[in-house]
Order: sequence, then structure tokens, then C-alpha cells
Amino acid sequence: MRGILLAKFTTFIRKPWVFVLFTVMSIGFTLIIGYTEGNEDKITVPVAGAEEVRTGSIGKALEENEVYHFKWQEETDLKEIVRLGEAEAGIIIEETGYEMFIRVETPNVQLIEQTIANIYTEKIRENQVLELFQSETAAEEEAILTAYHESMDQPIFEITNDNFRNADSSQFDEGLHAIFGFTLFFVIYTIGYNVLPILIEKKEGIWDRMILSPLKKWEIYLANLVYSFFEGYLQIIIIFSVFHYLVGVDFQGGFAGILLIMLAYTFTIVSLGIFVTALVKNIQQFNAVLPILSVSMAMIGGAFWPLEIVQSDILLALAKLNPLTYGMEALNNLVLYNLPFEEILMPVSILILMGVIFMGVGIHLMEKIHI
Amino acid sequence: MLELIDITKKYKQTKAVKNMNMYIEKGEIVGLLGPNGAGKSTAISILSSLLEPTSGDVKFENKSMIKNPKSLRQIVGIVPQEIALYEDLSAEENMKFFGRIYRLKGKTLKNKISEVLEQIGLTDRRKDIVKTFSGGMKRRLNIGVAMLHDPEILIMDEPTVGIDPQSRNYILQTVKRLNKDRQMTVLYTSHYMEEVEYLCDRIYIMDKGNLIASGTKDEIKQILASENTISLKADHWNERFITNLRENPQIHQMKVDGNEIVLVVSKDVNIFSKLAHLAEEANVQLRAVDVKQVTLEDVFLHLTGRALRD
Repeated sequence: MRGILLAKFTTFIRKPWVFVLFTVMSIGFTLIIGYTEGNEDKITVPVAGAEEVRTGSIGKALEENEVYHFKWQEETDLKEIVRLGEAEAGIIIEETGYEMFIRVETPNVQLIEQTIANIYTEKIRENQVLELFQSETAAEEEAILTAYHESMDQPIFEITNDNFRNADSSQFDEGLHAIFGFTLFFVIYTIGYNVLPILIEKKEGIWDRMILSPLKKWEIYLANLVYSFFEGYLQIIIIFSVFHYLVGVDFQGGFAGILLIMLAYTFTIVSLGIFVTALVKNIQQFNAVLPILSVSMAMIGGAFWPLEIVQSDILLALAKLNPLTYGMEALNNLVLYNLPFEEILMPVSILILMGVIFMGVGIHLMEKIHI
Repeated sequence: MLELIDITKKYKQTKAVKNMNMYIEKGEIVGLLGPNGAGKSTAISILSSLLEPTSGDVKFENKSMIKNPKSLRQIVGIVPQEIALYEDLSAEENMKFFGRIYRLKGKTLKNKISEVLEQIGLTDRRKDIVKTFSGGMKRRLNIGVAMLHDPEILIMDEPTVGIDPQSRNYILQTVKRLNKDRQMTVLYTSHYMEEVEYLCDRIYIMDKGNLIASGTKDEIKQILASENTISLKADHWNERFITNLRENPQIHQMKVDGNEIVLVVSKDVNIFSKLAHLAEEANVQLRAVDVKQVTLEDVFLHLTGRALRD
């Protein structure tokens, strides 16, 4: 068994290109999709207004808003953006009121309008406070407003608004989703192309030579599985480490937990690789099946988009049969939702069960079918 | 002695090997001859315990090897038809790998590798990566790794497919030398008649899963003892002459191969005057008429009605 591992590792060192390619692709796609400008958590809302409005208290309040990114535009551009559907709404801001342009009535539009209305209400309230105290100098006005804001910061009760892409929400994080999704997706290829040599070695007679030798059959299988597992897991460690230590992604203290969950996922994908290898008749078939399988697994399993937006019952039912779904679920439960251990154990247990079934059936078929 | 007894192997509805009986004595070179798809590879897979037969038995030293092939596997070295090597490793690394799986290690392994590399003529290329080798060199290494554990029986499945004549001669000589110097028993499958004729003491001929002839070269050729093989040569043939030959009841077999026509006829029939007459009638100018030595190719043609490489 050591001999097989040694030969595999030597080959890996001489020909690491598949491994490198899929690792780089995984990191690259995650960076492009999850961490480039335009993918912020805030919804961008175009606003237009005169210079004095922009620099005034309303403009300042818009800029400080934590929920929406209000972006100043020319009025004509704003209308064009809304017309083309590039923004859900656009607002022309004036000192005494606002005009809102919308293309489609969405829940976010209502929240945007509420936010703007709140800013104007706040402005009116500040004016009322100043009138009430009849301040005469700018310094007095500032002192009164500071005192007012301090008292407002400690209210008797509080009402907050949120949207589904707010950074404060733990429902969805585009960056983390991209890391999880692309890592789980690309590692299918890395592992798949590591299991493939079993098929090649069987076809070329290397396997026959090993079977005739004093090596036990389980040693041959184990060596191949250990190697495929190692390479897949190494890729996962590299990707998560790059994002954790170099890009500075905060896994909310779950880095070690992620690596533990990935042990189960890697095992399941190695087993799935064995299962697929046993089903196909030749290398060409394997090369055709692997991309179809991995892309559909990624789409159905929520690697490219959150499963929460999927409405189809059929797709959701198919997702239940997909190991990638449980990999994503376990990672999200750990990092995004900070759920307790039992909630993470459930998808991990399903992954291990799937792995055992795929491995058992796969090896049985491999032994039964003479390739 | 290694024996196949009444072996049949079925794949779904297809019988790849049908009721095959065969034996190999210690120190022999036995040839298994047949066209592609004849069932040779299936037969040797069963013989080497890689494949279980549908029915029949494989016996080694009178013990059945079907359920417990361990003792057979220890003494068999297999040279598959494909290049069963790691192309990204060097010749020496491949040898180390295949030696290690036979539990060879340390100095023993090192000495064995040097010895085998010397025998297959690859000592100078031991550090080179296999994928840089020519087809012939890969074939030689393919044989070399099967010899590392000093097998008593070497099973070679078409070891000269797709290589140049020089490498082919080298391989044939190596097999001869192994048999002579080490008394290694060899089962050699091929669809090249001349290789089998050159190497083998005894020959089995297979076609469509059936064993159609067996024996020594001379015994097999005796199948055609009552017949003559006649070669006709001309610059060109015409349809009329070929049709006349085909319709002649005294001609048992006929094969047109370019400018040569090979006929199998009964020995007790004097056909030469008839051939001259037919040629004249069809306006064909014969350049040579020879009575040929019987070859295995002729026997195969006689037994199956087609050439071995059809």
C-alpha cells in the first residue's frame, strides 16, 4: 500500500496541473463573484438633487444610512437607470420633499420609501426641537441637536427595519456563499480526476498486475481512496486558508469547524467518484459524465445561489439526494447561522451515510463488472 | 503443470471461450494463436486467475485454482497487451513500484532492478521518464516489470503489437533467452504466425472462442499433409481467371494477395496442367508457379476459410 501511495505522490509532484488548475479556478471565481465591487451587501439606490441638498443634513443622513447605498446621479441618468431596471427605485431629493421613481413594486421599494420618509421625518423633528428651544446661535443649535440625538440613542423602545441583503443579517453572505459554493463545486473535479486513474489502471493492466501480486485487494482500494481523499482535502484546506489568512475573510470563529465538516464532504465525494467510475464503461464516458454531474450537483445543491430562492418542489426534492446540499447546509449552519452542534451534525451524518452507500455500491459494482 | 479443463466463459449471451482444454508443461514455450477477438486474452485471464470461468477448472500441480489462486499467483508474471506502466515515472521508479508490491526491498530490489534492466537493454535509460520512451522500449519495460519477482511462468499477451521490427526481434530473443537460461515457462499469445513459429514448442490455435487445433508446429502442419499449397504469381489477374479458379472443385482454398494467389489443393491431384490451361484461356500470363512449404497461416486458412489477420 505504501508503494502505491508513493507512486501516486511522485506522479502528483510531477503532474500537479489538474490540482493547481481547479484550486486556482475555485479561488478566482470566488474572488470575482463574491468579493468584487458591486457585490456589496447594501442595495444601491440612485438619488439626484441640488448641491445644497447633497451637502445638507438630508444628504448627510442618506450617506450614513446603513441599509442602503444612496448613490448621487444626474436626474436624467437616474431616470434611465430605473427605466432599464438596473435599480429598484430612484429618488429626486429636495429640501422640502422628494419624488420617487419606481419600475416595479417590490418589498424593497416600500422599505426604501420608508427609509426616505424617516429621514424627512427626522429632519422635521429636528426643526421642531430647534424651534421649541428658540436657539439663536449655530453653537446653541448644535448643542441642542447633540443632546436630542443622545436622548434618541437611548429610547424606551426601538423599531428597526432590515432587508434581505443587509450585512447585519445572517441569512445570506455573498462572499461566504461563493467560497463555500465554488470550493465544494471544484473539488468534485479534483477528486473525480483522481479517482479516474483506477479506471485507467484497470484498463491498462496495472490493476491486474497488482491483483496478481501479494497485495490485498483492500490495500489497493484503500491506497487509491486515501490518495484521492488527500488531494481533495488538501485543495479545500488551501482554498479556505487563502480566504481566511490572505483575503481576511471572517469565518466567525468557525475555521476549524469548516475543516472538520469538509472531512465528511471529501469522503462522500471520493465515494461518489468510485460509484461513477464503477458505472461508466470507459474514460470518454467518465469525462462526459463528470462535468454534467458536478454542474447539476452545484446548481441543485445551492452552490451557485441560495436554495432559499428555489421555488420548484422537484428541484428541492432532488436537492435532498445531493451531497453538495448537505455540505452547504453544514457550512451555513456553522458560519452564517451559528447554529448549535446538533444542527451541524445532522447534515454531516447524512453526508457520511451517503459516502458509505456510494462506496459500498461502487466497489461492489467495480468488482462485479470486469472493465 | 498448468491446465485449463473444459473452460467456458460467457459474457451475457456471448461465449468468449467455449469448452477450452489446454496444458502447459514446465520449461515450455507455448503459443496461443488467433485473430483479434478469438478469445486469447480471455483465456489467459482465466489461466492467470484474473477472471473466473463460467464453467470448467484451472489446475496447477493438480490443484484447482478457481477459488484459491494464491499459489498460482506467486509464480506467474503477466505482460498485458497494454503498456501497464506509470508513464510519468522513470523506468527505475516503475521497477521499484512493481518490485515493492511483490515485497522486494532494499539491496535485493536494487540488484534485481539492475539485472532486469540489463536483460531488457534499458540500463542506460533507467532514470528517464517512461513517456519519453519509444513504443519498443515501453514494451521491453512492460516485460521487465513482469520478471522482477522471478516468476516461473511468464504469460505474454501480444507483447509485440505496434512496434518496429528491431524491437520485435529484441523481444523475441529475450523470450528465447529467458526460456533457455532460466527454464522459464512462457505462454505467448499473438496473431503473428512467424513469431509463434519461431518461439514456440507447442501451439494452440483459437478462433471465435474455439480451440481449432493444437500440437507441435509439425503436428499442426500435418493437418495439411494430404494437401499442397501452390503459389501463382502474375503481373495482374483478371476476373475470369479468378472465377475459374474459384469454381474448380479440386481447389479447396484460395487466397488472392496482390500479385500472388495461394491455392490449397489435394496432393494426389495433378493440377499444374489445368492451371496452365485456365491461365491461357483467361489470357493471364503466369510468371511463377511454386509448391510452398506449409505454414501455420496455411493451416489457419484451411481450418477457418480466412486469413489470420482478416
